[in-house]
Amino acid sequence: MTKRFLIPTLSFLAVLISLSPAWAARVGEAAPEFTATDSNGNVHKLSDYKGKFVVLEWSNRGCPYTQKHYNSGNMQELQRQWTARGVIWLTVISSAPGKQGYTTGPEENAYVKQVNAAPSAVLLDPTGALGHFYDAKTTPHIFIISPQGTLIYNGAIDDTPSTDVADVGKAKNYVSAALQEATSGKAVTVPTSRPYGCSVKYAD
Amino acid sequence: MLLILAAPSRAQSSHARVELIAEQNTVVPGRPLWVGLLFQLDQGWHIYWQNPGDSGEPPKVQWQLPPGFAAGPILWPQPIRLGSGAIIDYGYEGQVLLMVPLNRTATEHGSSLPNIAADVKYIVCREMCIPGKTHLTLATPADGNWEQWRALFERTRQQLPKPMPPGWKVSAESNKTSFVLTVRDASPVRSSSFFPLEPSQIDNSSPQLFASNRAGFQLTLKKSDQLVKPISTLRGLLMVGAGRSIEVDAPVVSR
Repeated sequence: MTKRFLIPTLSFLAVLISLSPAWAARVGEAAPEFTATDSNGNVHKLSDYKGKFVVLEWSNRGCPYTQKHYNSGNMQELQRQWTARGVIWLTVISSAPGKQGYTTGPEENAYVKQVNAAPSAVLLDPTGALGHFYDAKTTPHIFIISPQGTLIYNGAIDDTPSTDVADVGKAKNYVSAALQEATSGKAVTVPTSRPYGCSVKYAD
Repeated sequence: MLLILAAPSRAQSSHARVELIAEQNTVVPGRPLWVGLLFQLDQGWHIYWQNPGDSGEPPKVQWQLPPGFAAGPILWPQPIRLGSGAIIDYGYEGQVLLMVPLNRTATEHGSSLPNIAADVKYIVCREMCIPGKTHLTLATPADGNWEQWRALFERTRQQLPKPMPPGWKVSAESNKTSFVLTVRDASPVRSSSFFPLEPSQIDNSSPQLFASNRAGFQLTLKKSDQLVKPISTLRGLLMVGAGRSIEVDAPVVSR
């Protein structure tokens, strides 16, 4: 294929990808570009973070699985540890209005302070657009994007699907493992796992 | 009088009641003793199948058994599809009995029921999820009515998934986006749906395309985003027609 045809083909593929969110979040492929607003009203695009690792963490503070990781301090610790190493950590809330986990900017900021969380930002996605783009199923559900914009992890936070705080310390944390490997230039040995948690509370 | 609180045989938590029950009140030599977790759920609330689907977790049991008994696996009844739109789960509403055989590993035991207990963890959900955790001992039926429980075990047994009919030939072809599950030499069916036994193989929320002809029928099942390595067998339940549940193990061929 000559260069003349390559660029239009890539653009066509890019359009296809943005129109077909159902298959847009596969490990090894380009992570879908997005534009989203955080709890302070600031706009974030994935392309803003080219050159950095990005973690997307779907959350719902009412879900017992999310609570396991926040009540134990596990999620906050992960956020601190990795943002200190230059990773961009974006918590995403895709709960629709009226559904569990739905929140407003000021309320979310107060909650982040109260639980001592440390994400780079919290993206408010009440329409579920970002959630559907990535096909986020559960809270928590974690996606990790490389500095080149490739999806390198899609799955659970760790290997123990339960609501017991006692399991946190014993579990193998997939997020840390993937970031540890990727930041040392190694391949991610566990790039996917079944995400566990409550369903993301999209609109009906 | 000293009131001794015994471990409950029946647990109540929000929206779910669970009891540990037995099929009969005696142990018969050479036969397993069938026990089960009987869940009764408030309207609209559900618990999950062994493959919960996109969210949730199945109930988990840890048995405390006297010497001479060993528990087999849970026999999972055919689940229903739960949810709509982007998130599809598999599980149970209303009432469900999860049966377990207790096999005897020793011969010296009388015919009376053993003292058994179970630690059960589960999550019951509707719009939101509520975890449950309970320690159960064997319940006794109200008014000594063992017949009601025996009938419940028998009914549940009839409704369990059945092995593939002899003569059916099942296979799955893997292409870039989907598995095409083909059943040959089956008598005609009007509809079918597939319930995967393993998570992260098929995309639970994608429609399953059904096609049939004189030779049999076919289901096209979109692959899961979490499936990164090829699989050699696609295992699950096929719901056929009005309510037959068939266990299938389809060898996978790549194209």
